[in-house]
Amino acid sequence: MNAGDRIHVERGAQAYEGVLLPSSTPDHLVVKLDGGYNVGIDREDATVEVVETDVYDVESAQDEEGTSTVEFDEALPTVSLISTGGTIASTVDYRTGAVTAQFDAEDVLRAVPDLAGMANYRGRVVANILSENMTPAVWQDLARAIHEEIEAGADGVVVMHGTDTMQFTASAMAFMLDTPVPIVFTGSQRSADRPSSDNVMNAVSAVAAAKSDAAEVMVCMHESESDDRCALHRGTRVRKNHTSRRDAFETVGAEPLGTVDYEAVREGEPAAAGSADEGGVTFRREHAQRGEIELALHDELETDVELVKFTPGTDASRLAALDDAAGIVVEGTGLGHVDTDWIDVIDDLTDDGTAVVMTSQCLDGRVCDRVYDTGRDLLAAGVVEGEDMLPGTAKVKLMWALANTSDVADTMSEPLAGEIQSQSRPWT
Amino acid sequence: MTEYDYEELGLVAGLEIHQQLDTATKLFCQCPTRIREPEESTRSLTRYLHPTKSELGEIDDAALEESMVDREFEYLAYDTTCLVEEDDEPPHRVDREAMDVALEIAQLLDMNVADQVHVMRKIVIDGSNTSGFQRSMLVANDGEISTSEGSVGIEDMLLEEESAQRVEETDAGVRFSLDRLGIPLVEIGTKPDIRSPAQAREAAERIGMLLRSTGQVKRGLGTIRQDVNVSIADGARIELKGVQSLDDIDDIVRNEVRRQVELLDIRDELNERGASVGDPQDVTAVFEDTDSGVIRGALDSGGVVQAVRLSGFDGLVGREIQPDRRLGTELSDHAKRHGAGGIFHTDELPAYGVTEDEVAALREAVDAGPEDAVVIVADDPETAELAIEAAAERAETALDRVPEETRDANDDATSRYLRPLPGAARMYPETDVPPVTPDESEVETPELLTEKVDRYQSEFGLDAGLAEQVAYGQRWRLFEDAVDRGADATLAAQTLASTVTELRRDDVPVAHLTDDHFRATLELVADGELAKEGVPELLTALAEEPGMDAAEAAEAAGLGSAGEDEVRAAVSTVVERHDEQVAEEGMGAFSALMGECMGELRGKADGDVVSDVLREEIQKRA
Ligand SMILES: [Zn+2]
Repeated sequence: MNAGDRIHVERGAQAYEGVLLPSSTPDHLVVKLDGGYNVGIDREDATVEVVETDVYDVESAQDEEGTSTVEFDEALPTVSLISTGGTIASTVDYRTGAVTAQFDAEDVLRAVPDLAGMANYRGRVVANILSENMTPAVWQDLARAIHEEIEAGADGVVVMHGTDTMQFTASAMAFMLDTPVPIVFTGSQRSADRPSSDNVMNAVSAVAAAKSDAAEVMVCMHESESDDRCALHRGTRVRKNHTSRRDAFETVGAEPLGTVDYEAVREGEPAAAGSADEGGVTFRREHAQRGEIELALHDELETDVELVKFTPGTDASRLAALDDAAGIVVEGTGLGHVDTDWIDVIDDLTDDGTAVVMTSQCLDGRVCDRVYDTGRDLLAAGVVEGEDMLPGTAKVKLMWALANTSDVADTMSEPLAGEIQSQSRPWT
Repeated sequence: MTEYDYEELGLVAGLEIHQQLDTATKLFCQCPTRIREPEESTRSLTRYLHPTKSELGEIDDAALEESMVDREFEYLAYDTTCLVEEDDEPPHRVDREAMDVALEIAQLLDMNVADQVHVMRKIVIDGSNTSGFQRSMLVANDGEISTSEGSVGIEDMLLEEESAQRVEETDAGVRFSLDRLGIPLVEIGTKPDIRSPAQAREAAERIGMLLRSTGQVKRGLGTIRQDVNVSIADGARIELKGVQSLDDIDDIVRNEVRRQVELLDIRDELNERGASVGDPQDVTAVFEDTDSGVIRGALDSGGVVQAVRLSGFDGLVGREIQPDRRLGTELSDHAKRHGAGGIFHTDELPAYGVTEDEVAALREAVDAGPEDAVVIVADDPETAELAIEAAAERAETALDRVPEETRDANDDATSRYLRPLPGAARMYPETDVPPVTPDESEVETPELLTEKVDRYQSEFGLDAGLAEQVAYGQRWRLFEDAVDRGADATLAAQTLASTVTELRRDDVPVAHLTDDHFRATLELVADGELAKEGVPELLTALAEEPGMDAAEAAEAAGLGSAGEDEVRAAVSTVVERHDEQVAEEGMGAFSALMGECMGELRGKADGDVVSDVLREEIQKRA
């Protein structure tokens, strides 16, 4: 008896007939009845008879026949679709019952037919992992792949990414790549296997943004709960601020960089080169222009970097245990404080050559260790103020700075990719 | 209505009953199961839906047909709905209370409960579910109910979430209200064991009674919906959707049988005549100068007139197949499905401003003889073309068979074409909700309403009518509670059943009356502080000022129960006022004076007491 067999089960007074599913467990047979319902039947005392073998090829029922028939159109820009896994192109795993990523970039085209006609696409799979399994090594693979795609002529890059760690990967790309074209991250908060998934609007909007003139690393996700607009967030300033909402992503400390009007894009003429406002894509602030800088890759990373959050009661020994780290980002309280017991430990760490950067768990606002004694003592102990950087972004930046620059303290205090806003104007 | 020999026709019918449960919270979130007014909405959002593949890699035809139209859905949210209804938070676990009620129902229907219940997603992309699917689970199957014409098997029982209420069409699509989305709903499907219209109604009534016996189902319009599946031997399986009233079920079945019989008759006649369906063609030229409002309107806004010749159909397009519905109405339903306003056909023309000359010209244009019929559609070019093709296709089918389809029940127990029958492959697992292992050990079998009626008669001495009124009404719990607390059973039953109805008829706002109002009122009577005659007046006072305490209200309305002295004083006054009459007629004056005495006491005294005192007073003077 195998998954996909049609079986007849009798257990006590009950009789069921249907297709055996792979989601069966040692305790339960899970059978899809003819009406479409699944039902679990206790294996104990159940008499099973196989009526017909292999009625459904359950494993491959997912794979759609044929390949994409999208033709090359010279009038359209070329957008590279890079998949790293995640819910924008995912499906149900019948063994675990969980949603997992299974599609490659070609599948994305098939899954989101609305993308057809917007651009010529190059598809590429860099990873097929859940975003919680993302690693700096994959960031490096991704940065190299993006670099190759742009070198090969992509006018824009869309990275399909799980939402959980999207902000970290986006930050990493912002530091590792000097890009002359838009690099747009997108994903979905509601899995692609449901009709209400946000994947279609996010992907379509991301492609529109990838055709724009903003040569920035951006995150393109729902602006509100409605399917009307996507916000374009700067990759280094964005944060997932809700577990499940479509509009979970927010730019911290500023309004989003831009907006994609879905209706305009759907109806729309493709955005012509040189006019970012066409095709429903608009920007609020200045941004790097397409073609302004030359493509470059700085893909070294120091992975021995930790992000430590201080909360009342966190013993200084926790920090001391990290004495081998090359760098530590501390997520302190308020303006950038920790228990005074920590200060000596930090002093020892910096003396031993560990870079220690202070950020704030307030998330919004700038670190300033010059206002209170604790802060002044921290500065004396060698802490670098992380300005208004998000703690997660600061960690990624520190990994990059340790591997690519000589003066880490200077690098951590200067804006490189919009991660530090030298003027605090959160209303803009 | 014609009664056929249903056995000879091979009538097979089944029921699908959808009943909302009256639980504290929704099936997959902690929101109340409360219906709101659209005006109370505090926020709204818009969405699109995109069809997906089912678990086994197939896409359902009905789902696809619906998705052809790219529509925008707007959802109204309330302070009683949350992110789950908005599809912006994963569903919580299956509501325990709803599952318990479902298990109770399974027991009443004598069903087998599944070892493990799996929540499924049933694809619904008409916008009525924000997720694009309805969550539904098979809880039990294989039950049975009895009817006077034999037992009817119960195929299965599903526990599912109610859909969002459609508020109205908008320019871009449809507006829905999220208040109803997620209310637990049981769907009970019978086996196709029903053999007559009367049995269909009886089975529906029986299931309805069993459902209400749980005391945990919602009441009122729209809280129960019945679908009926009907076929006859040579006909086709038809799903009739949304029968709102139980009383209509037998008529709906009768009318559907008639429709199928008539359609088969038409088919035979058509075949005898060698009928056929032509190709649609543009006949705009015929109507260039028409005064027909409908056609004129279409042409003036750039439309065209499309026609199709139905050879050998003359007289049959206009043949009635259900009360006031013809074969032409069926063709029209299909044309409407493609956006047209409807059709005209030669069996009904000249009419609607179409002249005899135009009909003649039309017949000529499509080369139709006197034995032929012609159908026309006037609309914008694209719609007209799709609509005439749909009508022609339906006419073609008429030559061959009764088509299988889903139909919408009309208020007059007829029905109209809705869409093709849905396929089976439109379900896949709801992975956000773990399977549930039902625990039947805690489930109590509720007393059936029919048993309740019997008990109320034997235990409380209610008459049959009153017992049924109370048991089937919404306040039987309150009734039992009041009797427990010492209220007179008959008075309590009358108060909760007939008195309330009478007050409602007198426009007293009885909706304001709470259980506490009734309880306190009956308690005042039981304690002798209120005459039972004062009950209607007190309830009126409370309904008008629900904030008041029952005792206060009784006091304010001067309804305190009069003591015997007060009664005697009032009665004496009345008797003295009529001393001549009393002297002349003696006890003969009793009934005339009784009314006046009660009036004098204004509901403050018990009628029996007044009557005793009046009798004594008359005797004294006679
Ligand atoms: Zn809710």
